[in-house]
Amino acid sequence: MYYIHKIASITHQDSFNQTDVNDSLVEITEDAVLISPDYKKYILPASLRRLSPILRMAVAAAKECQEAITIPFEAISVGTALGCLTDTEKFLNVINTVEGEILSPTAFIQSTHNTISGLISLELKNHSYNMTHTQNNLSLEMALIDSMLCCDEGKDFVLLGVADEAIDFLNKLKPIVLPENSIVTSGTTFFALSKKKSKSEIGFKACRSIIKAKDIEVDIDLFLRELKIEINEIDRIYTNQNSLDYPKEMVVNYEAYSGLYFTANAFGVHLAHDWLIKEAKKYALIVNSGCNNSLGLILLKNDKA
Amino acid sequence: MDIFITGYGVISAIGKNVEENFSSLIQEKTAIKQGLKSFTSKFKVGEIGLSNDALKVEFDLKTDGSRTALLGMVAAKEAFKNHSHFEALRTGLISGTSVGGMDISEVEYRNEMAGEKPNYKKYFHHPSGTTSEQIALELGITGFVNTISTACSSAANAIMMGARLIQSGQLDRVVVGGTDCLTQFTIYGFRSLMIFDDEWCKPFDNSRKGLNLGEGAGFLVLESKKSLEITGKEVLAKLSGWSNASDAYHQTASSPDGDGAILSMKQALKQARLEPHEINYVNAHGTATPNNDLSESKAFINVFNGKVPPFSSTKSYTGHTLAASGGIESVFAILSIQNSMLFPNLNHTTPIEETGLIPIKNIQKNSEVTHVLSNSFGFGGNNSTLIFSKI
Amino acid sequence: MSELKEQLKSQIIEQLNLEDLTPADIKNDSPLFGDEGLGLDSIDALEFIVLLDSFYGIKIEDPAAAREIFHSVDSMADFIESKK
Repeated sequence: MYYIHKIASITHQDSFNQTDVNDSLVEITEDAVLISPDYKKYILPASLRRLSPILRMAVAAAKECQEAITIPFEAISVGTALGCLTDTEKFLNVINTVEGEILSPTAFIQSTHNTISGLISLELKNHSYNMTHTQNNLSLEMALIDSMLCCDEGKDFVLLGVADEAIDFLNKLKPIVLPENSIVTSGTTFFALSKKKSKSEIGFKACRSIIKAKDIEVDIDLFLRELKIEINEIDRIYTNQNSLDYPKEMVVNYEAYSGLYFTANAFGVHLAHDWLIKEAKKYALIVNSGCNNSLGLILLKNDKA
Repeated sequence: MDIFITGYGVISAIGKNVEENFSSLIQEKTAIKQGLKSFTSKFKVGEIGLSNDALKVEFDLKTDGSRTALLGMVAAKEAFKNHSHFEALRTGLISGTSVGGMDISEVEYRNEMAGEKPNYKKYFHHPSGTTSEQIALELGITGFVNTISTACSSAANAIMMGARLIQSGQLDRVVVGGTDCLTQFTIYGFRSLMIFDDEWCKPFDNSRKGLNLGEGAGFLVLESKKSLEITGKEVLAKLSGWSNASDAYHQTASSPDGDGAILSMKQALKQARLEPHEINYVNAHGTATPNNDLSESKAFINVFNGKVPPFSSTKSYTGHTLAASGGIESVFAILSIQNSMLFPNLNHTTPIEETGLIPIKNIQKNSEVTHVLSNSFGFGGNNSTLIFSKI
Repeated sequence: MSELKEQLKSQIIEQLNLEDLTPADIKNDSPLFGDEGLGLDSIDALEFIVLLDSFYGIKIEDPAAAREIFHSVDSMADFIESKK
């Protein structure tokens, strides 16, 4: 077990520093906006002025996790599907509009995927292991697998996080690259993880990434069988799929609350975590299915239940 | 647990396979020259003189993708050639890239800005993760696929990640490395940082001005002992140490004393259970920027207690291939071990005033090479070190 | 000259996204870089080079040599005047 000592999410829901994120959920609409904390509480003005939304929210969520555990993280593992899109697009505009050879560098500097994890190490003054995974909708799973490895290798506390941001341009990619009726949003979720028991005694039990899934229900069965768990032991499934063949009352569609970004399954984990505490239930499964038939499975367990 | 290397592949400006790269290294022949594309023509770059279509034909590539993906397929296929698929082996692919399919996106984006009818389908190729999926598809790898994106240390970190997954028993065999093609985005990006040398880059030289960019890909096949028993492959070398540490100093600049670099090298040595004096050759990050080379030199002096082993930056041959550099330079490290040779650092005349360190200036044959240390440092203070050892 | 300095301050605020500052917060002679000044860094130095190019048509090739020029609003204004 890899226990969750803190979760911090900034999303289009009022999710930051809530005792139970399920309390104030509303179904996402086209006009929903990212609900941001006062970033000045987390980032000095000298740094803040340069930062795009994805960097601001990731640093704030990471700092909340650091504050909760007080001792420094021994590894930082970040997942992002599309990275720093605001700065990427900004620099594309710079290179296509500015004539001459002198170009503003800031957007370029902040356009690489690892700007997020690098900035977190800088803000936390953390010299430890620092990794950035980007595997489309399986980016959380990849960063989580790495975090689990870090714990197994003896690292005490690991900072695991994901972040993705929406830019208007993404809406142009509907319905060709992105699903037609999706609401493209931004979001970040960070976790403080350790093999040490947390107060809630809830943690990640297992994670599986499948590049080409054949049949979601069959893959879920295989995953659970390896863990010697029956499907009827699962108390709830959090998924972005509407067509799963399970009783309706046990399935929650997290994307209806997060909107679409490719690491939103981390918000599904957050919803599941808070629900397991409140209902004192044992298992929640997060089923993250991508348009390219990829499948991510994450099992959360509550030791107290 | 030993991590065995049983395959390698590389494409860079100095050659389109391992043999050609080796030959250029021995002949001390750089391939950095005035660029051929509209966006490279003003600069000296390490460009691969094959178009995407030519790559597809020459290397019989069945999968479509960005230039980054195609270059990755070429090197990964060479690394994986003569390898077969085994039911009993869990085989994965982990690739590092910083630009992904930007070479396609930037053209589409520019065309749309210019009023042309956009073809949004092209953006399918954009995500870095897709690049790796395309490489995996070309190799027929359907298990674990992951992408690391830590700028210039991406490939080194992908190699490290693969080794750790073997060590933990989650994988038996894994194709690891990195790929990046030249894009207008990165060329103009590094131009905006004002760290280009308009002439040939001069790593570790007192008068160094900056880097030349390059493109390419480099991949290795890593196997566990159990995997070796099934594949029966010949072992080229071992991956004996790895480490990743953060400089946590500045968004772009390295700390003046190379704190992150020191941590990274020391931890890798510790993990390989080696003393600093046992390292026979260091393939440096050595980008030839004033900042990196001074900081890395100081870190060498610290880690090796003043007795710095022979070192060089082969970026003077290939240019800085960003996310691919750790993969390409890992292949060079293995070639050094296999052939008992140390590769030179071209264009060096005067040592850096503050350190006085002199890199290898000519090819050194008949050198005893048992352990090679290879550095890759990325933007954002992401420092990684790999150590390769003779079997 | 003082008009140029006021204009420079506005341009600095704009170019570097110093949202919380007004031109009055920047003293003519106080250092722009380092902790005792505005706390600017090497990325800002590159942005200053962009500023000089785009607003004044002055090109600086070597960022290392520009450090003295960017010491304060005074030194930047002197430099711009000298190029006129």
